[in-house]
Amino acid sequence: MSDLELEERFKKRLEEKFGGDISESTIQRRRRLWLTVKPERLVDLMRFLRDEMGFDHLATITGMDLGEDLAAFYHTTDQHNIITVRARTPRATPVLPTVRDVFPGTESYERELEDLFGIKIEGLPPGRHYPLPDDFPAGQHPLRKDWKLTDAYPEPAVKEAK
Amino acid sequence: MSKINVPLGPQHPGLKEPINFGLVLEGEQVDKATVNLGYNHRGVEKAAEERTYIQDIYLIERVCGICSHSHTTCYITCVEEIAKAEIPERAKAIRVIVAELERVHSHLLWLGIAAYEIGFDTLFMYVWRDREHVLDCLELVAGNRVHYAINTLGGVRRDITPEIKAELLKRIDVLEARTKYYTTLATEETTVLARTQNVGVLPRDLAIKLGTCGPTTRASGVARDVRKDEPYLIYDKLDFKLITADTCDVFGRVVVRVLETVESCKIIRQVLNYLPEGPISIKVPWKIPEGEAVNRYEAPRGEDIHYVKGNGTDRPERVKVRAPTLANYHAVPHMLQGGWMADVPLVIAAIDPCMSCSDRALVTDKAAASSAVWSWEEMRRNGIEFYRRRGVDFSKVTLK
Repeated sequence: MSDLELEERFKKRLEEKFGGDISESTIQRRRRLWLTVKPERLVDLMRFLRDEMGFDHLATITGMDLGEDLAAFYHTTDQHNIITVRARTPRATPVLPTVRDVFPGTESYERELEDLFGIKIEGLPPGRHYPLPDDFPAGQHPLRKDWKLTDAYPEPAVKEAK
Repeated sequence: MSKINVPLGPQHPGLKEPINFGLVLEGEQVDKATVNLGYNHRGVEKAAEERTYIQDIYLIERVCGICSHSHTTCYITCVEEIAKAEIPERAKAIRVIVAELERVHSHLLWLGIAAYEIGFDTLFMYVWRDREHVLDCLELVAGNRVHYAINTLGGVRRDITPEIKAELLKRIDVLEARTKYYTTLATEETTVLARTQNVGVLPRDLAIKLGTCGPTTRASGVARDVRKDEPYLIYDKLDFKLITADTCDVFGRVVVRVLETVESCKIIRQVLNYLPEGPISIKVPWKIPEGEAVNRYEAPRGEDIHYVKGNGTDRPERVKVRAPTLANYHAVPHMLQGGWMADVPLVIAAIDPCMSCSDRALVTDKAAASSAVWSWEEMRRNGIEFYRRRGVDFSKVTLK
């Protein structure tokens, strides 16, 4: 127990502050804490992590297809520990708020969520596709589990070079 | 004076890889800059879900041509963590040796490119000549100059023999001496100073706020290095300095990289002399249990982070790759603002950008839609056919 003292402290602090809005908080191992937050408290939690706990670097956002739900995992770090914040959103109407106001460098990560998973990021200014090409079929999101390559490229043109 | 918009890229002689910068110029000065990405998306993350863990090592290696070892090591530490496999100390040491050789190779490559962008072609030629030493070292250790493929599940694929060790030690001495010479040159030569000082400034607070990483951050005076902050492999046993610079400009980025190269040489020497006896790999079952892991790694360009989720089969449920360049892009418009048009290529080059890394991911080989993975014979047949149509016959050539 004693070697996870710091992680326990992080966990306790977050649970005290956010109470029922966070769930499934687990210490996976030394330096790794995972938790799930209600999407409406996501931005508050991010701000709290940055300002009060020193987790001032959002390393990346991982999108996930969980079947019924889609999810985004926010990997924040204070350089020594990683706290991963999960936010789930229903597959039928996937919406998450932007965390750009807290971490301004995350625009590409959020655009990836929009392009590859079709999660609408509320508050993200309109912009180009990233990383998919501009002419990629609308409504298709490659990293969803039910997406197949042939959805976007139905008839592969086999060209014989003459 | 009226402002004009100049698109720089995606295809431009000043850039090495496809990326687009929208520059608003007022005369010769950059008033505003924006960055557009996504010209090199290959679908690696989707492809990784359709392949086995072993195949993914070779796929992930191709995320980037320069930091190929960084990506596989970061990926494989995640997989080994899920599989609860503790790899032998000797394997860890060999991974560190390759990692640091890779850093030397990457930083020297970068220094050459920076010299070229400065217009100092002699330095460029010299640096790249000396870089051959480190490529030879990598070939000696791994059998390959660029995609080393040294990692495997549970350890490494090749051992370091006493002969290889002796040769490496010899070459490292040469590299260290040369790099020290470049350190003097880069910090004292007037052309280099004139082109780099106060160019592409990124203040300390902005570097943190924008989430930058690696040498770009360290050149803005932020002491961050995953090797120190969250030691992986055997970095906690090694004695090396964390290099920072407080000039916040391109000059600082040059200084950080050349001094880091010297540190890397020291690390390689330490590890070679430490190299514990024992096996170089352990057996890991091909089926990886359910679980998830996220790990960071200090690639030559900065913090690399991978997330892997296993579902009990021999294929991962999800692999996420975030290469260092993607974290650094959004700082570039800030570095460009207020600067001169002529400095733009150098400032962009100063973050050591790698487009393939950041755009990563869709293997759409349209001609091979029926078979997702080609066998070696199929590939060779296709190659011979391709050239035959163009009037060259390779069918008589035998491969050994």
